[in-house]
Amino acid sequence: MIPARLVRACIALAVLLAPSAASAQMAHDQQPPPGEQAQYPSLKLSGFADINFADTKTREGPQGFSLGQFTLHLASALSPRVTFFGELSFTARADAGTGSPPATGFNAEVERLILRFDQSDRFKVSFGRYHTPINWWNTAYHHGSWLQTTISRPEMIQFGGRLLPVHFIGGLVEGAVPAGGLNLNYKGGIGNGRGAVISRGGDAGDNNGSRAYLANGFVKPDRIFGLEAGAAVYGDTITLTGDRDFGERIVSGYVVWHKETPEILAEVAAVRHEEAATGLVTWSNAYYIQAAYRLPVWRDALKPYFRFEHIDIDAADAVFIGLPNQDGSTVGLRYDVAPFAAVKGEYRTWRRASTIPRNHGGFFQVCFTF
Amino acid sequence: MAMFTNRRLGCRATLIGVAIGLVVSLTAAPAARQASPDIAVVVHPDVPLDNLTLTDLRRILIGDREFWTSGSRVTLFIRAPIARERDAMVKDICQMTEAQFRQHWIAKVFRADTATPPKIVYSAQMALEQVSRTPGALALVETPVAGKGVKVLKIDGKAPGQQGYRLR
Repeated sequence: MIPARLVRACIALAVLLAPSAASAQMAHDQQPPPGEQAQYPSLKLSGFADINFADTKTREGPQGFSLGQFTLHLASALSPRVTFFGELSFTARADAGTGSPPATGFNAEVERLILRFDQSDRFKVSFGRYHTPINWWNTAYHHGSWLQTTISRPEMIQFGGRLLPVHFIGGLVEGAVPAGGLNLNYKGGIGNGRGAVISRGGDAGDNNGSRAYLANGFVKPDRIFGLEAGAAVYGDTITLTGDRDFGERIVSGYVVWHKETPEILAEVAAVRHEEAATGLVTWSNAYYIQAAYRLPVWRDALKPYFRFEHIDIDAADAVFIGLPNQDGSTVGLRYDVAPFAAVKGEYRTWRRASTIPRNHGGFFQVCFTF
Repeated sequence: MAMFTNRRLGCRATLIGVAIGLVVSLTAAPAARQASPDIAVVVHPDVPLDNLTLTDLRRILIGDREFWTSGSRVTLFIRAPIARERDAMVKDICQMTEAQFRQHWIAKVFRADTATPPKIVYSAQMALEQVSRTPGALALVETPVAGKGVKVLKIDGKAPGQQGYRLR
């Protein structure tokens, strides 16, 4: 929930930041100060926003027009080797305000807050709040709708979703080695895993004595420039309300072809839960595959796309109780109206269970970066 | 009839024009290509390298390699769009379109991969000045390199002007 005075404080903060941001120029197009050495800190402010329209057969999510996320990104080099990154989001919600029934309003969230020390390309260490690097989409696009081809994220990594932990609070080491042209990248981390509400990370401390860990590796071979493939593992102990403990293990993998003629993204994840008291083991899994193609017409502004996604939740999984299955297809078209703005239209159809009628709808989005 | 004759004359004139155009372009294009100078990779003199592979150069230009072997950070100075150096860098080295290159760097900063994206320079002279005074700096400029205080790197063992040099 976000009171009006917090909104006013955020606006005041943005006004205070504006002069330094303007003088520092945006990350998009920097010009060096003539005759000056680098100055620290060097704050750069950029952001993303989107406006959406949705109309579905059966109500599921916002209908009609809705504001998407208004995201501010702050990056500042504090010294040649120390950098700060921050990401703030303001999300329209039907229940963000006070009163009964709650008024609509905006939720403010510190999405990422990272302080990183870069020793070299091979070794960097950081602390803060991250988007958990066990899913490619989660760390490639973050909250920048303009960056992603489609309107929606795959449901397996939806914001506020429960299948995969979206946020991770702790420390990370990362780096890259040439590895004979393979360009092997790694990340390893330890931190707070999911909270008692499993869609949330442990921002104010872990809710049990067991830290989460993750390891991630991926390659970007020189010989096949544009290809990226990787895998990750994640482990944690989840403590639900009532002190029910579950061991959680996640394995995931992805293959991405970055070029836009075509662009191909494919990810898969499997989540294992083991209840400490009963020893009951469950497996749930999800995957998606998305293909797009930048058409050589209209200044290369058109990009049709298609995605198929699948989520299969183990019915006996107590952690994922109430989390729906999904078999869904998305077909759409992205039109880049300007270098930093795009409009997208898509049709989605999905089924939650064989006993529930298929739902479908049309969606439209205007998105931009600034 | 007169109109028909005029049309035939018009068609002939068009065909002759096209033929002349083809001959001119076929003879002039190689000359123009030969006339365009090589593009040199210049670095600050403290950079402890004399040679880069094209793939290493690409890694640097897309931000996948941020440090020199000496440990100093790479600072990129790149020409604004439309410049020939920019075009060669984006299309030939990075194998991207201008829009893809722009989006690549916006995404890289947004992913928190780097806080220091490339800095834009508006002339070769400006690029040389910045490189000469910034430790770890790299830029692409057309040869001959007019400025002093910079080092020209070989690419895959070839210097600008040598046969087989790949940046032009």
